[in-house]
Amino acid sequence: MDIIIQSLVAVVNPISFLLIVIGVLFGMVCGALPGLSTSMAIILCLPFTYSMDPITGIVLMVAVYVGGASGGSISSILLKTPGTPEAVATTFDGYPMAQQGKAGEALGLAVTSSSFGTIFSAIIMLLAAPLLAKAALTFQSAEYFGLGLVGLSCISSIGAKNQLKAFLSVLIGLMIGTIGIDSINGTERFAFEQPSLLNGINYITVMIGAFAIAEVYNNIEEYRHRDTSLRSTEKVKIKLLKFTEMAKMWTSFIRGSFVGTIIGIIPAAGGSIASLIAYGWESNNKNATPKFGEGNPRGIIAPECAHNAAVGGSMVPTLTLGIPGSPVAAVIMGAFMIIGLTPGPLLLKEQPIMLNAIFLALILAALLLFIGGRFVTSQFGHILKLPYPLLGSLIVTLGVVGAYSLKNSFYDVMIMFAFGIIGYFFDKFKYSNAALILGLILGEIIENSLRKQIIIGDGSAMGLLTRPVSATILVLAALAFLWPVISKKFEKGVQ
Amino acid sequence: MVIEIVFNILIGLVILFYLVQALQLPSSDNPADVLGASGFPITISILGLIVLLMITFRAFKSKHKVEIPMLHLNTIDGRMLVINVLLLAAYIALLDVIGFILSTLIYLVACPLSMGFRKSLLLIVFSVITTTVLVVVFGIVFYVPLPRGVNVFRELSYMVY
Repeated sequence: MDIIIQSLVAVVNPISFLLIVIGVLFGMVCGALPGLSTSMAIILCLPFTYSMDPITGIVLMVAVYVGGASGGSISSILLKTPGTPEAVATTFDGYPMAQQGKAGEALGLAVTSSSFGTIFSAIIMLLAAPLLAKAALTFQSAEYFGLGLVGLSCISSIGAKNQLKAFLSVLIGLMIGTIGIDSINGTERFAFEQPSLLNGINYITVMIGAFAIAEVYNNIEEYRHRDTSLRSTEKVKIKLLKFTEMAKMWTSFIRGSFVGTIIGIIPAAGGSIASLIAYGWESNNKNATPKFGEGNPRGIIAPECAHNAAVGGSMVPTLTLGIPGSPVAAVIMGAFMIIGLTPGPLLLKEQPIMLNAIFLALILAALLLFIGGRFVTSQFGHILKLPYPLLGSLIVTLGVVGAYSLKNSFYDVMIMFAFGIIGYFFDKFKYSNAALILGLILGEIIENSLRKQIIIGDGSAMGLLTRPVSATILVLAALAFLWPVISKKFEKGVQ
Repeated sequence: MVIEIVFNILIGLVILFYLVQALQLPSSDNPADVLGASGFPITISILGLIVLLMITFRAFKSKHKVEIPMLHLNTIDGRMLVINVLLLAAYIALLDVIGFILSTLIYLVACPLSMGFRKSLLLIVFSVITTTVLVVVFGIVFYVPLPRGVNVFRELSYMVY
């Protein structure tokens, strides 16, 4: 208890408070702009922390991390251009809500859920960080393979209108994911001796093309016939959820946060996988109204809770074991070392105040998301007042900057352009761009984990079934894939 | 229906090409790596071809007509869309030659014009303000790399970002 009180004193003081506000706002702006990332925001903050005491410095970075994770949803909802990879799943229902004139409500849902997810994971971390970190270490290739499949299972919902086409879209995404150097034995695959293809195709580039550019093309052909600009004389104002409204959807909040915390703890899994799995789990409810993919609020709550809960989750292995739980956590770990702290079991013993202060900072940053959210979203909301010819060209320009800045390469811009056209045709023929991205994101983890497990098993894949955790996850994945069929049969049986 | 089948044939050709390439990948030196570099690609491409056949079979039976405005150049929507695709291609090509500032200024005027936006003053103000904000936020504040162009354009860009 003494340690918690000392941690509170370290965090709840005017300087830390101010830094958390600045960090959250800065993180949100960086998260919301395609082309900037949470990692970049933290790196940019790093020089300012050199002169601070370690706790204050880390508190600032944690606030940026929380703000960045939440900010990605703003452009996902308003422009169908995810600001961060973690916000992909938020576009599935967030953008349809904005199209229906409910942008403020969608943004409110996103901020509330992000805040809830962060607080949920921080509390879990405060209570059980060392225990959870040890459990996470038992995860091996077999379990990662299962997780990848669970992530893929959300095609059954995002492709609800045409399952076969969604399945083919996933397979095409998986195929694109195999381009580049095979990370198991270094074989060059489908790169045709092009140096730019050796590193593979970045899913953020594909995402900008297939989501943002394709959507602009769709709107160009339609905007003269209907109002697609979401123009409104009113300011886009974030509409926060009331407690009673939250209580009605409490299951989605808990499910999303639970998935996010667990996936966040697992080293290298990260917020994007967490949000996709949470969305997949949530959208198994086929009787939901409105349907998932057509603006269901729960389709925003689950992924937003999940990827922000993954922030807290990813801090566990980073701090207690010295193994980063996500790419952003790896940057924070680097910052720790610059400050002179070595994350790992010793940190837990020697700096218990530091550990608790970080989790308390997470909670405070999550509460301040409401203030940051109000300010940043109202500024971004102005964009929607633009006539569509201006808004469309602005989205394309932002997309070009986002794609180019990934690797300072025109190759990525060309990939974005190509996927803009492919995405347009996919939309027309009812293939699923979301499923394509899903396959591309999860392809690497699925293939590599499967092959690693087979190698560990000396040529046998039985380890996938004999490891209890892996077998359980695989059963869950199978259930998630077959849920639409099972639920239909069940409903028929009841009738 | 016909256009969807043509689209499916194109996808099929791409997957077939992918499969042929996958079959030519070398096997792994590690005997425990049963799948090797080619195992996963071969499996998903065969699965893809089977699913594509099923989709195409359904498309044959379906009487649903798909409208693709981009392919109807005799309509205003179709022309507008194709012009925008070409404009984006030109923008990307120009970025590498005249740099970010000039090409973005031109694109942000040309693109809305091609969509029938005719308020010239607003268009120019929008183009200048947007380009300035993008250069300041990305290029100057956050040090995000922006295209610089070649020769004199490159040298000039260093004076701004």
